[in-house]
Amino acid sequence: MAEVTYEGATCIYPGAEKPAVDGLDLAVKDGEFVVMVGPSGCGKTTALRMLAGLEEIDDGSIRIDGNDMVGVSSRDRDIAMVFQNYALYPSKTVGENMGFALKMHGVDKDERARRVRAAAKVLDLEELLDRKPKNLSGGQRQRVAMGRAIVREPKVFCMDEPLSNLDAQLRVQTRTQIAELQRRLKITTVYVTHDQVEAMTMGDRVAVMRGGRLQQFASPTELYDHPANVFVAGFIGSPAMNRLDGRLTPDGITVSGASMRPPDAIMRAAHGHSQIVVGIRPEHLSIGDGQLETYVDLVEDLGSDFYVYGHLVGDADANVIVRAGREHPRPGETIKIKIDASRLHLFDADTGVRIGE
Amino acid sequence: MASAEQIRAEPGLTAGAAGQPARRRRKRRTNSATWGIVGWVVGILFFFPVLWMVVTSFKTESQAYTNTPSIVFSPTLSQYRTVFSSGLWPYVANSAFATIVSTLLVLLLATPCAFALSLRPVKKTRDVLFFFISTKMLPVVAAIIPIYIAARDLHLLDNIFTLVILYTAMNLPIAVWMMRSFFLEVPGELLEAAQMDGAPLRRTMTEVILPVVAPGIAATALICCIFSWNEFFFAVNITATQAATVPVFLVGFISSEGLYFAQLAAAATVATLPVVLAGWVAQRQLVRGLSFGAIK
Amino acid sequence: MTAIAPTVTSAQPARARPDRRRQGWARRGPLLPALVFTIIVTQLPFVVTLWYSLRSWSLVRPGSQHFVGLTNYADVFKDSQFRQTAINTVIMTGGTVLIAMVIGVALALVLDRKFLGRGVVRTLLITPFLVMPVGAALLWKTTMLDPTFGIVNFVLRPFGIGHFDWISRFPLESVMIEMIWQWTPFMMLLVLAGLQSQPKDILEAASCDGARPLQIFRELTLPHLRRYIELGVVLGAIYVVNDFDAVYMMTQGGPGISSANLPYYIYQRAFLGFQVGQAAAMGVVVVVATIIVATFALRLIFKTFSGTEQAA
Repeated sequence: MAEVTYEGATCIYPGAEKPAVDGLDLAVKDGEFVVMVGPSGCGKTTALRMLAGLEEIDDGSIRIDGNDMVGVSSRDRDIAMVFQNYALYPSKTVGENMGFALKMHGVDKDERARRVRAAAKVLDLEELLDRKPKNLSGGQRQRVAMGRAIVREPKVFCMDEPLSNLDAQLRVQTRTQIAELQRRLKITTVYVTHDQVEAMTMGDRVAVMRGGRLQQFASPTELYDHPANVFVAGFIGSPAMNRLDGRLTPDGITVSGASMRPPDAIMRAAHGHSQIVVGIRPEHLSIGDGQLETYVDLVEDLGSDFYVYGHLVGDADANVIVRAGREHPRPGETIKIKIDASRLHLFDADTGVRIGE
Repeated sequence: MASAEQIRAEPGLTAGAAGQPARRRRKRRTNSATWGIVGWVVGILFFFPVLWMVVTSFKTESQAYTNTPSIVFSPTLSQYRTVFSSGLWPYVANSAFATIVSTLLVLLLATPCAFALSLRPVKKTRDVLFFFISTKMLPVVAAIIPIYIAARDLHLLDNIFTLVILYTAMNLPIAVWMMRSFFLEVPGELLEAAQMDGAPLRRTMTEVILPVVAPGIAATALICCIFSWNEFFFAVNITATQAATVPVFLVGFISSEGLYFAQLAAAATVATLPVVLAGWVAQRQLVRGLSFGAIK
Repeated sequence: MTAIAPTVTSAQPARARPDRRRQGWARRGPLLPALVFTIIVTQLPFVVTLWYSLRSWSLVRPGSQHFVGLTNYADVFKDSQFRQTAINTVIMTGGTVLIAMVIGVALALVLDRKFLGRGVVRTLLITPFLVMPVGAALLWKTTMLDPTFGIVNFVLRPFGIGHFDWISRFPLESVMIEMIWQWTPFMMLLVLAGLQSQPKDILEAASCDGARPLQIFRELTLPHLRRYIELGVVLGAIYVVNDFDAVYMMTQGGPGISSANLPYYIYQRAFLGFQVGQAAAMGVVVVVATIIVATFALRLIFKTFSGTEQAA
């Protein structure tokens, strides 16, 4: 049973001007898989390390199961951490690595061996128990790092970009294994990554961070369909959402001369904002008889999909991405793009905040 | 929505909680303060004999020979005057010559040797390394007799060049070993990039490798200088009047003047000062050298 | 056609062979000057020492040398003083190296923490290594350990130990203290390099796993430091076993030979007693003993340090 709550948690490195993590409020439910995602320097790793006790909580608090962790050292928090570079103990065998925490907590030898063997079985490590880390491949080391964590049956799993050192194929494979493992063990997990695809596929809920501040904390679908600000809108989803400058008019909005009318609810909420940012995903645009004249720069062929990259005629900085089929335009052509107005996202141009629900 | 408020919220610490971060950071500071005290106590303890030597050198003999060591006294340079007027300079010149020339010779011989043993591995690398280190293990005493007799018969006794040769042989094994570890640190990609850029071996060596290894060479040179300057056994047996070095001077000073604390403190300070200063100034190189390039 | 083919095939290998040989020499070339120099300056004298050891020769009576076979060796093994100095050497070397290493580890642990003025403390701590050995020995003999005026006795006066002649009563130990003082910085720097090369995330992982600082040190840090400690011990032993300056300056081996080590004893025989043959024989015996010990020791360093190259 372990809920994790960040209450105004702040961490400033000595000598830094801005906090690395600034007033973070986050409530993770028991057994939930929460992913913290964001660009480098956004504070996600620091927030994770604060939970693990490896960084000081300078302000606010972090609670595990209701207990305040301020001043509590790592070894007393009952948290297992999987490090980005695995941090396996080089002088110990795989079996000793996995049993180390149990040894530190005074578990007797037979019980230790039993639990290590059980965890090794889950992760297919049984034949490697007597090897030293330097004789393991990257993927094997990653599994040992996981094994070391699950053997402990802790209150919380902390994972710091555990897949970033694996090659692409192994990464996808291991991703599903980790998600499935967590679902089976039902241990509260906080997972950090810079890869938004990992975030979207693995997390029950995802916390998007930027510059030390939380941008939005919601389920992947919610983040995708209702991003809370321009940053989240552009960060989640690949290829990124189109974001174009627009203006509010009495009848609707105009983007580069083309006008369109979003749903009434959004129009009502938009009242008062004059400069806006209009967001629309590539899959909600279509090539045909539409309002936006676009010059095609490049076409990406992904086999199943084609993505057309271009810019609005008359505004070289307004980049547009459209999803297309096999019959797609060629670079150099000028095309007309149609917008599905019911799928528009509007954001205030100054604050970046979403307008309407 | 919660997230919108996050963005509009005031940055940084809230007024109410202003006291807390200060409390936590104080804990970090007291921890480092305790280690600081331990560190300084230990540092001063270890340094104390040297400090006492320097302090004593500024005393008069009567001030040095007190039952309770005197810390407060009026310093005098009379001991130093005595030391400097005892014909110190020829010894210094000899030491400097032997140190510098032998170190240069060592670098000249060791650098290509280390290069061959690291970047272009030869088949018997381990055996060669073993051989070099084994020469250091052979007690010098076993070799001194024939060296002495040979030098005597060749009229090379009391000749500074004999010392140079001996010091070179003395420092070569360590130099080869140290330089090799520095060469091993050169990333292979650097060499490959130079090769792709069309650089022949000699230019790769001078323009690519040497700059990377330069701190290592400096470290090796410093270690060789320290060992050569401080060397006593060969100096006392092979030299007499012409080629005598500073350690010999120190010993000679005492046997002729007797054991007068303040005076010998001054003599010892003068003798040890160059190397101590060099070691302090080039500390990073020294540490690198002694850790065989293991320290980053 | 058949006439042409063989000449073509035989021409090629001939061209290839000299190339490979030249390449081999190009690789070995840079190695040679250092190697040849070392062989001449270190191995030749040793061979000559062997020759002298088989002869009886006193430097005071030139022309008196003659072949005596293994008599010198027999004398050496019968010589109780030789045995005593051999034991002294073992005690001195082993004791100095081990104690210096223990203190060195402790100091390295202190220097590994951040505190104000850490750089200055490091400077202070490496100084003993830089001081001229004869100078250091002199210092310890006079200003430190002198019965009446030495600092050590002054500090110990409140504890009831007043006028104590350390050097006459504990000659071996006094020399050892001087040697330990000089060699601890070396050990400390090696161990410090080891400490700083340990990845920090391993220590964090151990902390998360519930290990207390002492446990982390015992289970993780010490095994990691092993190669650095081994290197320090072997290298230190090589230098300490040959240390002549300290004995010469502090005790001249006395009282009697209670603080003489092998280098000093052999020196006494050769240059004070002028017994070349006997001194040579002793030298050879010491060399053989050192080789035996060293073979084991070197295998150790190579094992630990070829480990580095593989990991890199």
